[in-house]
Amino acid sequence: MIKYVARRVALLIGISFVISIGSFYLIHLLPGDPAVFILGTNDSPANRAILFKQLGLDRSIVTQYLIWIGHVLHGNLGISFISHNSVVSTIKAALPIDLEMIFLSQIVAFASAVPLAMRSARKPDGWLDRVLGAGSFTLLSVPPFIIIVLLVLFVSIKLGVANTGPASFVPLSQNFLVNLESLVLPSFTLSVGSFVVYYRVLRSDLIATLQEEFITMARSKGISARRIMWRHAFRPSSVALLGTAGVNIGGLLASGFVVQYLLAIPGLGYTLISAIDTSDYLLVQGIVLVVSVGVVFINFVFDFIINIVDPRISRE
Amino acid sequence: MSPDSRHLLEVDQLSTTFATPHGLLPAVSEVSFTLQEDETIGIVGESGSGKTVLARTIMGLQPMTNIQVEGSVLINGFQVVGASDPEKRKHWGTDVAMVFQDPMTSLNPVMRIGKQIDETLRVRLGMSRQSAKARAIELLTLVGIPSSTERYDAFPGELSGGMRQRVVIATALACSPKLLLADEPTTGLDVTIQAQILNLLGELQQRLHMSVVLITHDLGVVATRTSRLIVMYAGRVVEIGETRDIFAHHRMPYTRALLDSSPRISNPSHTRLLAIPGRPPNLLNLPNGCSFAPRCSFATDQCHNERPPLTPSSEPGHSFACWNPLPISTRSEMS
Repeated sequence: MIKYVARRVALLIGISFVISIGSFYLIHLLPGDPAVFILGTNDSPANRAILFKQLGLDRSIVTQYLIWIGHVLHGNLGISFISHNSVVSTIKAALPIDLEMIFLSQIVAFASAVPLAMRSARKPDGWLDRVLGAGSFTLLSVPPFIIIVLLVLFVSIKLGVANTGPASFVPLSQNFLVNLESLVLPSFTLSVGSFVVYYRVLRSDLIATLQEEFITMARSKGISARRIMWRHAFRPSSVALLGTAGVNIGGLLASGFVVQYLLAIPGLGYTLISAIDTSDYLLVQGIVLVVSVGVVFINFVFDFIINIVDPRISRE
Repeated sequence: MSPDSRHLLEVDQLSTTFATPHGLLPAVSEVSFTLQEDETIGIVGESGSGKTVLARTIMGLQPMTNIQVEGSVLINGFQVVGASDPEKRKHWGTDVAMVFQDPMTSLNPVMRIGKQIDETLRVRLGMSRQSAKARAIELLTLVGIPSSTERYDAFPGELSGGMRQRVVIATALACSPKLLLADEPTTGLDVTIQAQILNLLGELQQRLHMSVVLITHDLGVVATRTSRLIVMYAGRVVEIGETRDIFAHHRMPYTRALLDSSPRISNPSHTRLLAIPGRPPNLLNLPNGCSFAPRCSFATDQCHNERPPLTPSSEPGHSFACWNPLPISTRSEMS
C-alpha cells in the first residue's frame, strides 16, 4: 500500500512537471513582443529594451522556466499586466466558487444516483429500471447550457424564485443562504450530467456483482436485502464509479465555465473567459496551471480512495 | 428408520423447473427423502444431475424469477417452498446453512473475513461487536485456522483455497445451524486439502450435532462419511438407501457405472477406470422413458418408452428406479 502510494505520488509530481512546462510554454507561443504589449506601441525602443531585460527575456528559455517555476513553487504566479492584481489572489477569490459548485453538484449526483442505481439493479428491466434508463439517456443528450437556460426560464423567471437568475451571485462570506440560493441552479445543472453517468455505471456494476456467488452466500446467512446491497454489493461495485467520478469532476470545471459565464458567476471559468477577452495572459496561464494540476490531483485522490475500497488493486 | 425418530428435513415430491428461452428445463424432478437429526446423507451424481439446484431449492435460495418449484420442503417444521425471502431469512443461518462449492468466489473479496463471520452473529443473534468478534475468532480456531486472531483481519485474497473453504465453513457454522447443506465442499481444492476439509466437516457434525446433506460427484467421499446415499441422474433420484447397501447391493446400472468409474485402493495399480459411455441427457429434451436408457447396456424397449418408478429392494429403505435391475446377488468389488 505504502509502495503504491509512493509510486502514485511520484507520478503526480511527474505529470505536474509536464503540465508546468506546457503552461509556461503557452505564453511563449503568443505572437508579439511582451515589452511592446506592456508599454504600448508609442514607447521608445530603448525603454522596451530595458523592460525586455528587466523581464529576463534575454536569458535562455530554460533559465526563464527555472526562474518561473521557482516563483510558482513559492506561490507566486506573477502580477497581471492588465488589472495589476496578483494572479494568485485573483485565483484565490474565484476558485472557492468552483469548488462549492462542484461539491454541491456531487452531493446531489451521488445522493440520487446511488439509491436509484440500487433500486434499478434489484429488479433489472423492472418498470423503475426502464423509466430511469430512458430518462437518464434523455438527460445525457441535453447539454448543460440548455439545462441552465431552461431552469432559469422556469424557476427564476416564470416561478419568480429570488436570487436564482443571472448576476444574482453573492459570495459565501457575505450571506450563506443567499449564496446557496444563487448556486442552486448552476450546481443542479452540473449534477445532471454526473447523475446520469454515476447512475448508469453503478447500475450495471451492481447487476454484475449481484450475480456473484458471494452474494448468494451472504443471502444464505439470513441478512436483509438492504444490508446485502449496502455492505456486500456496493463496495465491490464502486470501483468504476469512483474512477468515473474522478474523471468527471475534472470535466466539471469545463462545463462549469459555461454555466458560470451564462449566469455571471465570478468563478474560475468566468475569470478565465474574461482574461482571454482582455488578453490577460498571465492570468490565463495561472488558471490553466491550477486547473490542470487540480484535475490530476483529483484523479490521484480518487485512485487512492479506490485502493481503500478494493484492496485487491494495490495487492496485484 | 424408527418411527419415533424426528425428521429434521422432509423433502416431498420436490421439482424445480427453469423457464429458459429454449423451453422448460426440469433441473430437479419429484425428489423425496427425509433426514433425521444427527444424520449425514450423501447425494451423488455426475455434473449437471441437479445436485446443486436441489440443495439450493431445499434452502430456498433460488431467485424467484423464471423458476417454478413444486412439492414440499420442511426444515424443522418450516415450509420452505412458497415462503417469501423475509420468512426464509429467519431460518437461514440458524436452522439451515450452506457450505458453498467454490471458496474462491463465495467470499466477499473486499470484506475482511472476520467481518463476514461476525456479521451473521451480530445481525442474526444480536451479539455485541466485541462478543461477535470473540466468537468469530473462536470459530476460526474451530475450523483449524492458525493464528486466528491475526487472520480475522485478513482479506480472502490473502488466504489459500483450503483456508478460504475453512472460512466458508466457519461462516456457515456461525449460528449453529441444525442442518448443513454442503454443496461439493471440496471440489475446488486439491486432494490433500480435500481429506482435511471432509474430516473437519465430519468432526464438526458429531461435535455440534448437526444433520448434514453432503453433495458430491465423488463416491469415495461419501463412502465412509454418510449413513445413507441418494444417487441422482438427470434431476431424479434413481437409487436411494443405506450407504453400505448401495455400495454392496446396488440395483441401478447407473450406480454400478458410477462405482466402476471411481478409482479404488483395492484395485491393482494401473487398473483402467471405466468411463460411462455417452453424455448426460439434455434436460430440455428428456427421453420419455428412463433418462439413463440411451447410455445403458441393459436397456430394453420398455426402458426407452416408460419411466421406471422407484421400487423397493430387499433391504429396508433401499429403492431403485429401473426396469431391468441388477440381480440382488450382485456384489461390487468394494464389499
